[in-house]
Amino acid sequence: MSKRFLCWSAYLGLACLLLAMPVSAEGPTRFYVANTGGTSVSVIDPATNKVVQTIDGIQVPESVAVSPDGKRIYVSQWAEKVLTVVDRQTGKKIKDIPVTGHSHDVAASKDGKWVLVCNAQNPGSIDIVDAHTLELAKSIPTPTKQHDVVITNDSKYAIFTAEGQPVMTVVDLQTQTIAWEHKFDMGTQVPTIESNPDGSARRVFIQLNKMRGFAVIDFATHEEVARITLPSDEPALKTSMSGHGLAIAPDGKTIWAGSKPDAAAFVYSLPDLKLLGRVRLPRVAVPGHEPLSGSPNWFAFTPDSKRAYVVNALDRSVSVVDVQTLQVLDRIPVGEEPSRITLYAGH
Amino acid sequence: MMVRISWKGMAAVVVAVAAVAGMARLGAAPAGQEAAKAAQPLDYEVFRTRIQPVFLKDRPGHARCYSCHGTGNGPQYLVPLSPGSTTWTEEQTRQNFEKVSTMVVNHGDPANSKLLLRPLSPLAGGDLVWEHSGGHQFASKADPDWQAFAAWVGAAPAH
Repeated sequence: MSKRFLCWSAYLGLACLLLAMPVSAEGPTRFYVANTGGTSVSVIDPATNKVVQTIDGIQVPESVAVSPDGKRIYVSQWAEKVLTVVDRQTGKKIKDIPVTGHSHDVAASKDGKWVLVCNAQNPGSIDIVDAHTLELAKSIPTPTKQHDVVITNDSKYAIFTAEGQPVMTVVDLQTQTIAWEHKFDMGTQVPTIESNPDGSARRVFIQLNKMRGFAVIDFATHEEVARITLPSDEPALKTSMSGHGLAIAPDGKTIWAGSKPDAAAFVYSLPDLKLLGRVRLPRVAVPGHEPLSGSPNWFAFTPDSKRAYVVNALDRSVSVVDVQTLQVLDRIPVGEEPSRITLYAGH
Repeated sequence: MMVRISWKGMAAVVVAVAAVAGMARLGAAPAGQEAAKAAQPLDYEVFRTRIQPVFLKDRPGHARCYSCHGTGNGPQYLVPLSPGSTTWTEEQTRQNFEKVSTMVVNHGDPANSKLLLRPLSPLAGGDLVWEHSGGHQFASKADPDWQAFAAWVGAAPAH
């Protein structure tokens, strides 16, 4: 056996080993903010709390999901019936995938297989996009428009809510069918999932549109087990909606509920749901009038759960909050009427 | 008891009924005229040449009005453009005129029209409560497009 043959064999073996390795996240951690009243997505570096990139040219971007390998972002939008796929590094559009309707929220499964899109037109649907072929794989009709989607950490189920409609829909991602529904006495808003150690869903928390608070659903029994009402110890500001943001920190220790009338976030411990405190978020001064709520929307957290990032629609900003002290550390200006924020956990 | 009505008397009754009916019609007319009067100030030509183009305008940092109100999820007061078209046809423009006139113009109180208040920053006198998902297209009332809207609905003198 020649020396050259041994050398080539070694190279080939190394190449095979590299190819067999699981795809790891690319690049540093970033937050993606959809500027819904504008045409751009602001990209925030949590190391500096600055906008380091602006992905432009998407009318009314509604939500952003990041592929688990960090190569692509998926942007839902109102203007066209498409899901826009963008190269995460360059910010260049790769493809517009036709979907069933003008869309709201979008989510990518952690196993990298699917991208789920909420069709926000009545009658609505749940669109399932194949993340490998970048084609619409299936559309599940629903009686009403869909607004938000979250996926269980084990990638087995997706939970959809329909803004203003009293229903939560659970989709089995293996069979791609509706597994079960839960009906409420008022409209649903933003959901979030509490996970078991194996990644399966334990409880689902959902903001409701006619109360300042959220409902708690036991995922195993499908029953509503509690309702948490936010404190009302301070005068409320006039707003056209109550809560539009609910999220659990990655360490699973706290749940954060946004309140527009309070210009605040209320933080509860998990699993016992005890109130830990209130985060005072921006208000907007108006000459000759009482201040307006900065209109807090969705949340995201750094992977270590030390900082929360809260989008303020009217204030056109993102607040950076210390999770331990509940104090606002920084204010990051972003674009017009920002709504949702998404974490890409890099390295 | 039998009542005898002469032809002369009957003719008088007919004239009286006709007069009452005519008066009723005359009485209804002012309300109709008032409604027509309220709608009249909305000039179609101004809408076609000055107002409608604003809905398609790309304003830096802002989505187009059309993106939500013509094809998106907002209240649909603009008809979708024909495939490949960058503007509306005459017939579509007429439809837009009707929709905008009825959906976002307050004829009784033009200054409180949604057309003026929703896209205007609350810091400049815009809607203080409603959260307009499309943001605030106009930072101030000095914006020429906002002024054109105001003049068209009759809330400000034309410039």
